[in-house]
Amino acid sequence: MNEIDTTLLTRRDLLKILAGAGISAAVAVALADPLSPAVEQIFSGLEAQRQAENPEHQPHWGMVIDLSKCIGCEYCVYACQATNDVADDMRWNIHLVDETPTGDTFHVTRPCLHCQNAPCVSVCPVGATYNREDGLVVMDYDRCIGCRYCETACPYGARSFNWRDRADEPNPHVPQWGTPEVERRPRGVMEKCTFCIHRITGALEQGLTPGVDPEVTPACVNICPVDARHFGDLNDPDSPVSRIIATTPTFRLREEIGTDASVYYIPPEGLAI
Amino acid sequence: MTAVTRFVRRSPIFSAWIALLAIMFGIGIVSIIYVLIHGLQVTNLSDQLPWGLWITVDLSSIALGAGAFTLSAFVYIFNMKRYEAIARAAVVVGLLGYSSAMIALFVDIGRPDRFYFPVIFWQVHSVLWEITMCVVFYSSVLLMEVFPIIVESTPLRNIRFLRGLAHFLHRIMPIAAWIGMGLSLLHQSSLGATYGVLIARPVWFSPSAPVLFILSAVAGGIALTLTVTLITADLKRKCLLPPDILNNVARFAGFAALAYLYLKLWSWAVTNYYSHPPAIRHDLELLGEHTPYGFTFWWFEILLGALIPAIIYLWPRTRRNRYALMLAGLLSALGVVVFRWNMTLSGFVVPMDWSPGVANVFTPATYWPSLVEWGVVVGIVGYWLLAWSLAARFLKLYPYERTIEEARREMLERAAAERSALDESAPAPAR
Repeated sequence: MNEIDTTLLTRRDLLKILAGAGISAAVAVALADPLSPAVEQIFSGLEAQRQAENPEHQPHWGMVIDLSKCIGCEYCVYACQATNDVADDMRWNIHLVDETPTGDTFHVTRPCLHCQNAPCVSVCPVGATYNREDGLVVMDYDRCIGCRYCETACPYGARSFNWRDRADEPNPHVPQWGTPEVERRPRGVMEKCTFCIHRITGALEQGLTPGVDPEVTPACVNICPVDARHFGDLNDPDSPVSRIIATTPTFRLREEIGTDASVYYIPPEGLAI
Repeated sequence: MTAVTRFVRRSPIFSAWIALLAIMFGIGIVSIIYVLIHGLQVTNLSDQLPWGLWITVDLSSIALGAGAFTLSAFVYIFNMKRYEAIARAAVVVGLLGYSSAMIALFVDIGRPDRFYFPVIFWQVHSVLWEITMCVVFYSSVLLMEVFPIIVESTPLRNIRFLRGLAHFLHRIMPIAAWIGMGLSLLHQSSLGATYGVLIARPVWFSPSAPVLFILSAVAGGIALTLTVTLITADLKRKCLLPPDILNNVARFAGFAALAYLYLKLWSWAVTNYYSHPPAIRHDLELLGEHTPYGFTFWWFEILLGALIPAIIYLWPRTRRNRYALMLAGLLSALGVVVFRWNMTLSGFVVPMDWSPGVANVFTPATYWPSLVEWGVVVGIVGYWLLAWSLAARFLKLYPYERTIEEARREMLERAAAERSALDESAPAPAR
């Protein structure tokens, strides 16, 4: 008579555990896996509407920045600040002095890269930043809660936060470099380069082509004195940007992390890519 | 007023303690109002380092509330009913942790007026959205679990409707425990994933971050619940837990700390000992130059925050000493806080080098919280202690509660009963 109860789990316990695991997994899948049908329906509705408006072609706006031409004059920086009413410590478009491995200096400017696989978009808890059909990464200032997770996630430091209320601040770049075309953002929301979205939106319907007609082209591209910035439709093989990309070696910043940026760079002399 | 005066006269020390905590809470309220008026410019946060002390507090207080789901699971899922002796306290600690986190988050977001937006505008690909939803739901679960305790211990029990509601909530507790466990497993890990999914920053990007977060949360959450219980018992001069429950919960906390240490050491060794990815090595070198990261990692996260508590909890001699147990819990909680602080700051301090050339264009960020940031934290700590003190004094948190004499007598009686049972069943010793 040496009966020892070796039962660790009764069948009932096991069933409970399995059921628990099942429920947990189901909840996880329901939360993590693609959009709920309702949201999907909204998106497919938008898609249908867009195709009805413009059946033949969907543009994808992109930029080429020629680092072999850039002289670091910072005109693009100031034009952006004037046009979009951006403060000096919150610049959407910045300039850096960098160095090739052989020790030659060169200039880099960086707008928002409008990634197609944007880390900032996937982390936003409220969908206040999203990819528009034409490739732009858009900010919805009315929805942003100011959690700054997008700023944390952006691999290029391209986002800035409205730490303070800027309503009464002067803009030293106005009117020399342009006049504000958009409203200032309120305190507590995130902002970033928009590719001058207010110029691009509706341009094609008016018969104008962004990247060709200056009034619908980003301010930074128009002002560049050495023609180092080009803008246009990456989906159109005849656009200025597509032609450059097809004929010149270009690279994108931190290509290895798979962000699929819409801004291409032409390397300066002496920088292998 | 007279009731208050009488109370103050009867328990002057407790009243003074409550007054102190109320002052801390008041400092917090003033600081929060100051932040709401002037915005986040009054913090020392910046675009390069946008998360700091408040996020650390938020992550830590949620982690340290993890005792609630673990011990509720003991009672209602694994049907170990005797653990109800500590589960109620754990649930209150949990609710305090989650409400503290909500206060911290509310101040920390740029638009507190839009705090409820994640519930309306779903973005299912964001771990932060998942966390927000889980925290909202789980806080409701915790409220459901705490509500019957409040009704039972206060004059509210005389209201028939509330009594009925409390009874109903108590009956559906097993369901609440299941849901609570599911939600906790999700968001405690997702808090680590908040950093773990960020491919842009090599010190963060790691598949082990979510698991490290939940393991440290379980270890720290149980440890903190046990420690506040022991301290409360000492102050009340009562025995709040049956000895065997105390012993088992302490052992469990020890094993949880070991599990956390095990994964922590491997997740360190894979990228720092057995391989050396250049990006991670570069970032850690910078952190070593500019911050006490290495020192705090080894001393506070590993040694004081996990290894020593594990030893105290698992070595029978120290486990029998209640002061050692209190120390272990405080160290464990400290370890969780330092881990969250290091995790949050390390990724920001190291600049991301996205420029195409070889020049060192970016400089490491520096951060030390501003006075207002500390003020808010003082308020949150004050709130936590104030609510706990009042709950421990006025709510029936410990069903086992008895005086030390009673507990001792009971123990002696049980020992005597066991001895006589042995005497009867055992054959007479051979002469």
